[in-house]
Amino acid sequence: MSKPKVAFFDFACCEGCQLQVANIGESLLDILDIIQVVEFREVMSEKWDGEFDVSFVEGSITDEHAVERIKKIRERSKILVALGSCATIGGVNGMKNCFPLEEVGKYVYGESYKFFPTLQTKAVHQVVPVDYFINGCPVYQPEFITVLKCILQGIPYYVPEYPVCVECKLNENVCMYDRGLTCMGPVTKAGCNSWCINNGNICYGCRGLTINPNTEGFKEVLKKYNIPEDFLMKKIEMYNKCRELDKQ
Amino acid sequence: MKIEQYRILEKSLINEFIDKLTSISKVSAPVYKGFNNYAFHEIKSADEVSLKYIPTIIPPKKYFLPIKETLLDFKKGNEFKVEPTVEYDNIVLFGVHTCDISGIKCLNMVLSDKPKDTGYLVRKKHITIIGLECNDYCDEYASCAFVGAHIPTTGYDLMFTELTDCFIIHIHSSKGMDIIEKTGIFKPADSNNIEELKALRNNKLRIFNNEIPTERRYLPDLFDRSFNASVWKELEQKCLSCGNCTAVCPTCYCFDIKEDVDLSLQSGERYRLWFSCQLDPFAKVAGGIDFRRERSARQRHRFYRKFRYHIDRYGMVFCTGCGRCSRTCMAKINLKEVLTSLIRESEAKIWRKWL
Repeated sequence: MSKPKVAFFDFACCEGCQLQVANIGESLLDILDIIQVVEFREVMSEKWDGEFDVSFVEGSITDEHAVERIKKIRERSKILVALGSCATIGGVNGMKNCFPLEEVGKYVYGESYKFFPTLQTKAVHQVVPVDYFINGCPVYQPEFITVLKCILQGIPYYVPEYPVCVECKLNENVCMYDRGLTCMGPVTKAGCNSWCINNGNICYGCRGLTINPNTEGFKEVLKKYNIPEDFLMKKIEMYNKCRELDKQ
Repeated sequence: MKIEQYRILEKSLINEFIDKLTSISKVSAPVYKGFNNYAFHEIKSADEVSLKYIPTIIPPKKYFLPIKETLLDFKKGNEFKVEPTVEYDNIVLFGVHTCDISGIKCLNMVLSDKPKDTGYLVRKKHITIIGLECNDYCDEYASCAFVGAHIPTTGYDLMFTELTDCFIIHIHSSKGMDIIEKTGIFKPADSNNIEELKALRNNKLRIFNNEIPTERRYLPDLFDRSFNASVWKELEQKCLSCGNCTAVCPTCYCFDIKEDVDLSLQSGERYRLWFSCQLDPFAKVAGGIDFRRERSARQRHRFYRKFRYHIDRYGMVFCTGCGRCSRTCMAKINLKEVLTSLIRESEAKIWRKWL
């Protein structure tokens, strides 16, 4: 059996998730034993003009060019994977959607903004169908490997629907709220093995809200800790602004 | 109280005892993690141990029922090979409170019932429990007197109780006796020590008072009449479904089974992971149907699992009164308060039945 042909593409993003893949360390050798990377701008100059068995797409879709390009990538790919927060949930780029497009354009390009037409930020699945999601800003390497193995076995990968607290508690971390810090763990999807909290940081909510978050209940909790609701909404919007496009 | 089952350890020698223990076995004990949080960790010396501690983040259950446990290894090839595995380790748990010991007794009951959990039963034989009696409440969340877990009864190898000048140790198994002999720093107890222990236990009856305004024997009645109580609906608003309450519970034993392959895609393992009835995917079945979708139904289920269902099946209350679920709850759902409001709401119905 020939190795599946795998490509990596980027749209509006920092390319940090691809860097996580390139930086995966020793397991990269084992990975390269089972896949053939045919296009990956960050690590190689070769291009591929045929079909892709698997395409990993980092970044969100923010203008007409990107829409056209992602549609073409989709057509050429048997399996399309959204890689990282920008691709899976819109990520920090989604903050653009808090403002009128004209205002955003002017802020970045001044009066020449008309030469740079732009669109509301969208996650990849809001433009073309996506087969697998790897959340995170950046992606968590062990989860990337797990998803890759699922793809190669032809089985689905389910992003955990429960919050980060589940994994965090099992890691016996001292709760950030006990330390007097506001952590997004209670309303953020798990799957990262509470990576940030294990290393002494709070959860920023980069993986997106849980499927069925009790936002009202969380507001009550914040009140008890004297944390303003507005502060929470801003924290949620930082990564989740594109979520409202899902509801339409 | 048979005097020959008791030994005495000078208070000043407790650190020496722990150090000796670490030289003869792998030892795990409560360690301070900051911000009033403690955890059972493997220790190398007595300095790391906190003798005075409130219940650890996760109970010592984690040694009996590991968070992640490999059940079998498999290998593809010309012939498909499957090898069941049991993971175990010889370890001494030092400083286990009576609430956590009663949690392990609950697990023993369930996991030795059919179908027997071989992994658990093998592992259990390799773990030695050295208890440490609480002479006072750890904090206001505990409800150990309600469930009767505040006094040592069984389920340990050695039990340390702090008296005025010394520790008195109850030897409860041959594994415990081995430790007494190998460390060799204990003295026989005399009748004064035994008298002091008796006095301490009597005094504890004054310190520890039933924390819930009902008695254990009324629990079945109370819960049989509370299935539609408004208390559960209130929890719907409060609960965030973070699963913290079940993750820290000494008597929760639900797990999920998963498989993982290595990168060659030729061999792998089947393992189990702790799982929780409070989480969204727990009750989801084929077709995406969730038979316990509401948070209120999940919380109610948790309480019935602690205070109702196991009374019928095992004649035991599956709450140890350790207070972890209340201490850890983001939304401040307090077990004592929930039971109290349940009693207030359903009391009338119970009285009516008796008339």
